[in-house]
Amino acid sequence: MQVSGLTPRQRLCGRIVAYAALVALLLVFLMPLLWVIGLSLKTRPQIFTNPPLLIWWPTFENYARVLTQGEFVTAFFNSLVVSAGAVLVSLAVGVPTAYAFARVRFRGSSFIFFSLLVMRMLPPIAVLVPLYALFNKAGLVNTRSALVIAYTTFSLPLIVWIMRGFFEDLPAELEEAARVDGATRGGAFLRVMLPLARPGLATAAILSLLLAWNDFLFAAVLSSNRTRTLPVLLASYAGADTGVDWGSIAASGVLVVLPVILFSFAVQRHLVTGLSSGAVK
Amino acid sequence: MGVSTAPLARSRYAVLARTRGEARATGWLDRHFAFATVSPTVLVSLLVFGLPLAFSLWISLQGWSIQQSLFGSRFVGLQNYSDLFDDPAFVASIGRTFLYTAITVSCELGIGLGLALLLNLDLPFIGIFRTALIVPMMMTPIVAALCWKMLLDPQYGVIDYIIGAPIVWLGHPVLAFVAVAAVNIWQNAPYVGILLLAGLRSLPSEPVEAASIDGAGRWQVFRHVTLPLLRPYIVVALLLRTIFEFRSFDNVYVMTSGGPADATSLLSVYTYVTSFVSFDMSLAAASSWMMLLMALVMCLAFVVMIRRRDAN
Repeated sequence: MQVSGLTPRQRLCGRIVAYAALVALLLVFLMPLLWVIGLSLKTRPQIFTNPPLLIWWPTFENYARVLTQGEFVTAFFNSLVVSAGAVLVSLAVGVPTAYAFARVRFRGSSFIFFSLLVMRMLPPIAVLVPLYALFNKAGLVNTRSALVIAYTTFSLPLIVWIMRGFFEDLPAELEEAARVDGATRGGAFLRVMLPLARPGLATAAILSLLLAWNDFLFAAVLSSNRTRTLPVLLASYAGADTGVDWGSIAASGVLVVLPVILFSFAVQRHLVTGLSSGAVK
Repeated sequence: MGVSTAPLARSRYAVLARTRGEARATGWLDRHFAFATVSPTVLVSLLVFGLPLAFSLWISLQGWSIQQSLFGSRFVGLQNYSDLFDDPAFVASIGRTFLYTAITVSCELGIGLGLALLLNLDLPFIGIFRTALIVPMMMTPIVAALCWKMLLDPQYGVIDYIIGAPIVWLGHPVLAFVAVAAVNIWQNAPYVGILLLAGLRSLPSEPVEAASIDGAGRWQVFRHVTLPLLRPYIVVALLLRTIFEFRSFDNVYVMTSGGPADATSLLSVYTYVTSFVSFDMSLAAASSWMMLLMALVMCLAFVVMIRRRDAN
């Protein structure tokens, strides 16, 4: 909002107020994480000082301890395998569907499409209760496959929704040209549209990877000590009241969040579209 | 939606196929392209989502326990649902969930709108602030909950140090509810902010300029021009946040496990405890179906809104 008729002095004052507000907001929204990063770089006595220590020589002993602990590495591996598995399955199944939604008119398309949206939005606990019962009978509880299946319930609709948007934005002429040159619909999709949609694929994959990585509820119920993911491991630290190890909690929390933040920055332009289920472009 | 070119493309193809004489080999996939590409998704969704929900509806009408075989239980009609509504903990958790959703969503919208207006200013380095807001919103909820748990610790937490009094935030029913809601607001207000910012940036600039030329003040322009134009985005944010706050679980459970004295036991926490702590699967199925029905109403509102907008 640019309102004319302000003197330079008024404009300067306005800017100072605006920056002050922005910095205050930044502090509110980033301080908790920065403080915990600080905790992760303190020794145990330094963490439990009162008043809190503000200047200290950082130590990496918490990170060393966490990373040499077998359980963190195992959970990291589990998180990675399970999230990637769900995303790969969802990409393979969902991307051709998204293309059909964007380019082909067929009966029931809008019903199926909105059912997928609803599937993404219904409370996960409601599907977890029966999934647990069914997995229990099928002997799948405590396996990584159970989590891959569970995560597909949200990554598949997410990927279909995001990719439909990307395919719609690609120029239809390219595809028509391929068809005129004799390509089949499948061929035009595989050889022309799919390579063009590569940025979209990366966005959809990263976003659903992040959602799977961040999940706690499904993993808390469907995994054992051997197959648990990082959020479940972290929650177990918090539950143990005897000698709560803040250094380890902080260090492993930072290690869990760091890749999330880096990947989020990579897809930041598409975050809103992706997370609003296509309601905002 | 870019689907209008399909019939044209199909007729072109028909000509090509006849001249090339390979219609039968590739023809099937082309004629049934939508079926071939959509049915795997439908099948997988039915398998991982539809089937479990149907099974859940089934056990909600049964006296089923996890030791029994899948179909070895007794039909009890709506007994589980009537048990559910006889349970004061369940009834209380409905009210609590609505209160919690109303508080968090309205705070997120208010703060988010403020954030969006501030971030929409044309200032140097504003991009840094926009990017930084992504951090809380994408943060793993469990990590956010753990961070706040340490910050709110009565003995060594920095928040009580700043306040100067050892307040036991998570040990007091009202304070725990406030703390849990605040953490959710902290995590999700930036999302609303970024969503509304996208809205602000897509608005046409002429109405605002016209109003300013006509002598409207800043507040008047905002109240009578910007806000009405932004309305569709606000509605999207409102519905989405309602749907997602209604199902809140992660940080609530890690911060308080629903306590103290059930003060933060939302519907999802109640269902979780019923199924995976007391292992009353039939009651949990009934409770999750009640949640589904409530969530479905909100989802349908969202779908209707999107479809109406797409139709315009």
